[in-house]
Amino acid sequence: MKARAISILTAALLIAALGCGSKDSGNASGTNGSEPAPSGKSEYKIAVIPKGSTHEFWKAVKAGAESAGKELGVEVIWKGPMKEDDRESQIKVVEDFTTQQVSGIVLAPLDDTALRPPVENAVRSNIPVVIIDSDLKGGDTVSFVATDNFKGGQMAGEELARLLGGKGRVVMLRYQEGSASTNFREEGFLDAIKKHPEIEVVSANQYAGATTESAQKAAENLLAPLKKDDGSLGVDGIFTPNESSTFGMLRVLQDSQWAGKVKFVGFDASQKLVDGLKAGELQGLILQNPEKMGYLGVKTMVEHLKGTKVEKRIDTGAVLVTQENMEQPDVAKLLAPPKE
Amino acid sequence: MNRLTSSTKSLVGLAMALVVLFVGFSLNLPQFATLRNVETLARQSTIVSIAALGMTFIIVAGGIDLSIGSIVAFVTVVIAALLQAGVDPVLAAGLGVLAGAACGALNGGMISGFKVGPFIVTLGSLLVIRGIAKGLAHEQKIDAPASWLSELVAVLPPDRKWMLLPPGVWVLIALAILSSLVLWRTVFGRHVFAIGSNERAAHYCGLPVSRVKFGVYVLGGFFAGIAGLMQFSRLTVGDPTVAVGLELDVIAAVVIGGASLSGGHGSIMGSILGAFIMTTIRAGCSQMGLPNWVQEIVTGVIIVLSVGLDRLRAAREA
Repeated sequence: MKARAISILTAALLIAALGCGSKDSGNASGTNGSEPAPSGKSEYKIAVIPKGSTHEFWKAVKAGAESAGKELGVEVIWKGPMKEDDRESQIKVVEDFTTQQVSGIVLAPLDDTALRPPVENAVRSNIPVVIIDSDLKGGDTVSFVATDNFKGGQMAGEELARLLGGKGRVVMLRYQEGSASTNFREEGFLDAIKKHPEIEVVSANQYAGATTESAQKAAENLLAPLKKDDGSLGVDGIFTPNESSTFGMLRVLQDSQWAGKVKFVGFDASQKLVDGLKAGELQGLILQNPEKMGYLGVKTMVEHLKGTKVEKRIDTGAVLVTQENMEQPDVAKLLAPPKE
Repeated sequence: MNRLTSSTKSLVGLAMALVVLFVGFSLNLPQFATLRNVETLARQSTIVSIAALGMTFIIVAGGIDLSIGSIVAFVTVVIAALLQAGVDPVLAAGLGVLAGAACGALNGGMISGFKVGPFIVTLGSLLVIRGIAKGLAHEQKIDAPASWLSELVAVLPPDRKWMLLPPGVWVLIALAILSSLVLWRTVFGRHVFAIGSNERAAHYCGLPVSRVKFGVYVLGGFFAGIAGLMQFSRLTVGDPTVAVGLELDVIAAVVIGGASLSGGHGSIMGSILGAFIMTTIRAGCSQMGLPNWVQEIVTGVIIVLSVGLDRLRAAREA
């Protein structure tokens, strides 16, 4: 019993010692990494909290946040939830940064409701919060820095209309009920199509569901009644609002030998979709710009801390990728395939 | 009596370890030794601590329950769904906790009725209950209308600072005292220790082994239900994917707290200290800006060290 107590004590001491050691080294690397100022200590310490840390998307956000930190001479602390995509873990991260009294928190909330109490608490403790990527319901935040999904959807609609020469029959396979970002894309698409009276929307009320699997089934059911007697497809254009719905639709088109014979614009990228674009099975993909999101998130926070008035809503823009521009360096960077 | 004194010694050791950790972090972090941080630590420990109360009974009786995390997620979904259907918050919370206890009864029934090992049964129910939670929630989170339930473990607003700690932490303290009394001062508690020490001997002595085993799993489910209520309070939504792997944190807390996985040893106070030690390490590392991987290694080392010592002690006492 005594031995146990003593050993736990020893372990605790060890940890404490480890703590002291790594704190110093942490400071040192901070000076090297993110502070060009020779004075060492930066004025602001900004915490950036992603939804997870392994996805390519978040690696790009991190790169953007760090380059903003370097440029503006502030310390950027990047810390994701201990468990990927776990709401409780992310709440703890926000609470820890609040206790730590950082200058500001840049947060990509995993949930528009669950993250509100910790954010409100941070704001009450005089720590400003900038939201990136996905919105938070309520909460007195400084700004919301993210892709304008409605605009992204409009871009897709315009491109499809251009590809069809302003007339034809189109279908849209929605993503999932209750998903705010994709819903904005869908509405944006319909809004753009409405401006072309000769384009008929054949179907816009089917949902792909959460996975590629469910998207594939939904796409099959959507297209089956549109099949003509000679085996060809009775629609001219297709739009899908995210990666999984786009991939599911692409698979169905490939299986039925329709790929390439119908104009198809999707959203987001993955290796398979880039291949489809190269093969001419997809005519366009709308991409978000995660690096810009990280960069503008930190920059907006610093401006707010310095007393500049910032916009409540900042658009990080969307890019249309086609076969023609996919080799351009700035577009290729956005397409950079996840290493598998 | 000997059991009591030796366990008291071990508790003092644990408490000292917690103090040393706390002081160690405070030397590095000026804001660590503040009331506000202590409140944060207490709030963050509540869920694991409450679940650990039930797990202590189960482990002392020589069992294990791997389904705790799934039960917690299931209960958040049940409460959110009920609130959404317009059920009164008190009733929703009560039914949620009951749902947790029902999961425990399912585990206990399988284990004591069909004589299947608790590891296998609860490994199965870990998947089954998680699946039911996801199905019930249609694989999404469930938004619930705002109610006072979400204030249970929230930071105290300025006008209620007189409560010192959030209500959920007071619930934990009350439940801990009650559980301690049940474990040490009742016939049921003595049976739990007897069965954990030597099940066969307990059986030959005429103890109601099956009934007691069933009872500890129901208790485990009941406390997981209350932990689920606290988890709902923190999230304010029903989340079928929350608390994956929580059972491992709970088991670690109980084991750090001096319980032996072979049964017959363990204490409520120790388990709670174990939970607080883990939270303190996690929060301290996090506030010092250590990356997540360092945090995971540090926590792992602490668990293995204390379990290793448990083995040493067992060998010496044998």
